[in-house]
Amino acid sequence: MMKKSTVKLCYRKIIDSNATKPWDKFVLEDSYAEFRLQVQNFAEAKQYPSFAELVHEVPGAQKINQMVGPAITGYIQQLNEVVPDILNNLGRRFIKFKNYQFEIINSHFDSREKHQVAISFFSEPMIWYGTIDNYLLLAPSGQETQEVLTHIMQLQPYLSIYSITEMA
Amino acid sequence: MERMNFLKSLLVGSVSSSVLLQACKKDADVTAATTSTSGTTTGTTTGTSGSCSVIQTETEGPYPTKAPASYVRSDITDGRSGYKMTVSIAITNNNDNCNAVANALVDIWHCDAEGNYSEYGGSGSQSTNYQSVHFLRGRQTTNSAGVVTFTSIFPGWYTGRATHIHVHIYNASGTSLKVTQIAFPEGTGTAVVAVGGYKKGFSGYTYNASDNVFSDGTSLEMATVTGNTTDGFALSIVMAVPA
Repeated sequence: MMKKSTVKLCYRKIIDSNATKPWDKFVLEDSYAEFRLQVQNFAEAKQYPSFAELVHEVPGAQKINQMVGPAITGYIQQLNEVVPDILNNLGRRFIKFKNYQFEIINSHFDSREKHQVAISFFSEPMIWYGTIDNYLLLAPSGQETQEVLTHIMQLQPYLSIYSITEMA
Repeated sequence: MERMNFLKSLLVGSVSSSVLLQACKKDADVTAATTSTSGTTTGTTTGTSGSCSVIQTETEGPYPTKAPASYVRSDITDGRSGYKMTVSIAITNNNDNCNAVANALVDIWHCDAEGNYSEYGGSGSQSTNYQSVHFLRGRQTTNSAGVVTFTSIFPGWYTGRATHIHVHIYNASGTSLKVTQIAFPEGTGTAVVAVGGYKKGFSGYTYNASDNVFSDGTSLEMATVTGNTTDGFALSIVMAVPA
């Protein structure tokens, strides 16, 4: 077993027009509606209806990411600080988060299908006890007991270790 | 018996493939790799491969409900300190005899007493506080009289600009009708003088006449501001837009 470390995980959840879950669809719809509102703060938006083009031509337009973010705050709150989708090996969501970052990957003023966003969830600190095959053995930090309750979680796409702090 | 055969023929043909499609669709959420099933099974599939992720065995948690953008609120103060100010904006239609525009979206934003704008939050800053990350920014929908009201604080100022509030007006379907700014009266007895530029005073202040936005005239952008520093201020303005 390796040396214990404290890690923060990052799960980057991609949502696009293939979304089927209600939460995902709400986030997609409302961020698209807000995108269409906010993009009109930029005079060049008519000329460059595609988000990528607009950002390329108008550097300040990068700010649209931040301007659209508040459209999904309510949905983030509905998660009750638990990262969606990522399950432990018992099939339960278990990663606590407080920090997240919203970004627009692609969008287009006239084409809803092109709207694609990502939310990166940054976990609260967890103790990483070791790795079994492609599973991480993790425990929420702050357990003062001798017996520590743990989670086993499989490595998977869009899930990463965001930061690491080696323990003494 | 005839019905049974009919159902069977369906199963062998098109139905079996659609069942398989359904199964793939369901699993696609969890795993990309699915082994093919024989096609005679109906309903649930049991096909698995060694690399599959664990299926979700609990409910989705609190069922998601439609939530408005957090811009949508009447009180945009978010704990910012300053003299209380109510803002009343009436929208009229210059294409329709200046009649009230109902159901228009009105976004406003302005700086705090020190002259700083909020970040937008939920992004970039990775903020933990969901509520106060976009202070002094709000959105309301006009009522049948074309009016929206906000509760805020009297804005401070920053270098290069006179006291102002940004306004963006959209029609009910979200098409931009006007991006503009509200100007404040200056001179003896005005709210601007009463507030005194907050802690900064007026050293280096830009007055409307030298402001690069307002210097071309403020007759249409000038608000009426009443009140005092004890009871707070009330700002009102009527804006005509081509709706």
